[in-house]
Amino acid sequence: MDPRTKLIRIVTLLGGVYFLVYFLLPKSVLLQLGIQQNHESISNGFIVVGAMAIGLGLINLLVGHGAKIVFKRAGWSNSAALLIALAVMFFVTCAQWVGSLQSSYDIREVQLIGEFASRIVSDDQDASRRDTVPSVSQRIGALVGYGQSKAAFMRQMVESQDASLDSQESRRALLDELRIALNEFQVGLDGLESSRVASLGEGNRAVMEDLVARATRLGGAYSALRQSDQTLTLFSRLYGVLYDGLFVQLGAAMFSLLGVYIAAAAYRAFRVKTVESALMMSAAVIVMLGQISAVFLMLHLGSFGEEAYRFLPKVRQWLLEVPNSAAFRAIRLGAGVAGLMLAIRMWLSIESKSFSSDKRG
Amino acid sequence: MGGLEHATPGVLAVLAFAGWMLFRHLAHAANGHQQFIRRIPGVDAIESAVGRCAELGRPVVFTTALTDVGPVLFACLGVLHSIAKRTAQYKLKLIVPQYSPEAMAIVEDTVREAYRSVGRGAAFDPKSIVFLSSEQFAFASGYMGLVHREHAGAAFMFGVFAGEALVLAEAGQQVGARQVAASVSPEQVAFFICTCDYTLIGEELFGASAYMSREPVQVAALAAQDRVKLLVGAFVVLGVLCATAAQFNPVWNSLMPHQLVLADWSMWKTWFESLFSRVWR
Repeated sequence: MDPRTKLIRIVTLLGGVYFLVYFLLPKSVLLQLGIQQNHESISNGFIVVGAMAIGLGLINLLVGHGAKIVFKRAGWSNSAALLIALAVMFFVTCAQWVGSLQSSYDIREVQLIGEFASRIVSDDQDASRRDTVPSVSQRIGALVGYGQSKAAFMRQMVESQDASLDSQESRRALLDELRIALNEFQVGLDGLESSRVASLGEGNRAVMEDLVARATRLGGAYSALRQSDQTLTLFSRLYGVLYDGLFVQLGAAMFSLLGVYIAAAAYRAFRVKTVESALMMSAAVIVMLGQISAVFLMLHLGSFGEEAYRFLPKVRQWLLEVPNSAAFRAIRLGAGVAGLMLAIRMWLSIESKSFSSDKRG
Repeated sequence: MGGLEHATPGVLAVLAFAGWMLFRHLAHAANGHQQFIRRIPGVDAIESAVGRCAELGRPVVFTTALTDVGPVLFACLGVLHSIAKRTAQYKLKLIVPQYSPEAMAIVEDTVREAYRSVGRGAAFDPKSIVFLSSEQFAFASGYMGLVHREHAGAAFMFGVFAGEALVLAEAGQQVGARQVAASVSPEQVAFFICTCDYTLIGEELFGASAYMSREPVQVAALAAQDRVKLLVGAFVVLGVLCATAAQFNPVWNSLMPHQLVLADWSMWKTWFESLFSRVWR
């Protein structure tokens, strides 16, 4: 056995052992062993390994279609269209992502004000942490300084946007909300600064909690405005056109083909040539008629329709719930047991020649 | 009843039985004991479809569609290996369109290995393993285009399928390809029966590889899975009897097989304690 195969078998076995142990042991034992706490990270590791394979798909596309274009083989123009679409989509998605990254960073900076204020209160209440952090006056001084700088930045942004604002009502509402939240926050910040808090007694704690509420509102308003701005950028619009406007619609068009194909397939399947196809045809007719509303049956089939409506839905229900469910369960059961046996074989590397690379050496 | 988070004694017993059956049959196979596999017309049709392609000079298309890395993919690879060997021997073009990049690497290795095993390693073209898309309907449209452009003589659809199943099968119908499908997705089996020449249902997909290759390991696993299915079948019969008896006496409800399999350690302890206390009395 070559070292590569040996390594693959060892990793497979160890991976299998981990998940088997995770399945076998009760949660309390997993917690004691520290497995439960790290399970998410370990599972994410497996996902990351899988994600690496996406690069393989990309290389395959580039090599396969690139060769077609270079050697001008039949259908090279389709390959060129595919690679151009791939490059454009890649560029637009990256540009949109970078734009949203900056926006998320700015939003986070504002949200930090409320979180910092809240942390000052909670640290002061916890005797064990009180001594490990800087004094309350120092921290409040830092909070006020940071809050003032962010407030000045946002005020400047509001003024510049206000001057160049178009007639969009929704954006004006967001800007007004931010302006109000900013004024309220400024009042809270000024109050905190003038009170020169050195320790958090009952009264000062109320001032701090009030500031937390104001800062949270400010964070929400700023986030809403920035997210709205983000959707108006060139790359976001381009992404919307390419993905939602083109890609999703093309997928929907493919899906709609199913309607036509189902009719064609039904025509082929329901030609009564054998006993089995006659049975299938009868079951299909009953299920379809059982699905139709009573009014439709009565309107089109008169008194027969009325009679049919009494028993057809029940027969349809029975067909779906009894023979159909039984067949579905049998298929699932058989496939499940077969899958289990194959999984044991793969886990213990009891491989047939089909997957073995022993001959390579 | 909620999902099973951790193994119960019943589940452990079933797993142990499955493992024991597998090793027992593998040992039998190692001793030269031959297992009988019944004829499956759908699997015979695979060989005749490849033969037809050789006569017509048209390519063979094999897809695992939405199948991700797992037992179903490995079952499909067994069939792909056999088909690839035949296409290599007949000097046919084999195209394997791909949906999952993870599966693609394994598929490529399997096809390359099949070509090597018949001494035609140099004839293997890595470009025959075509990555189309990881989006369901983008993959379906890519597959349709491929089958039409290449004018496939045979199309094999093995694995897990969803809404795109009919689109794939209709593409083969339109170019007159001989089609064999095998799916573990019961909802899609009906579509395949309507559009394909032969359809392997559920576990037949797992049996196909053993039937085609007759390799002792695969045949032994097939025999073992039949024994496990017998156990499950016995559970079903027992469940029906208990459910019927429970109509007259609710005590039988506690003996339903699913209760026994899903009961955790504490429930087993309680049962044993109550049983022993009765016997002791």
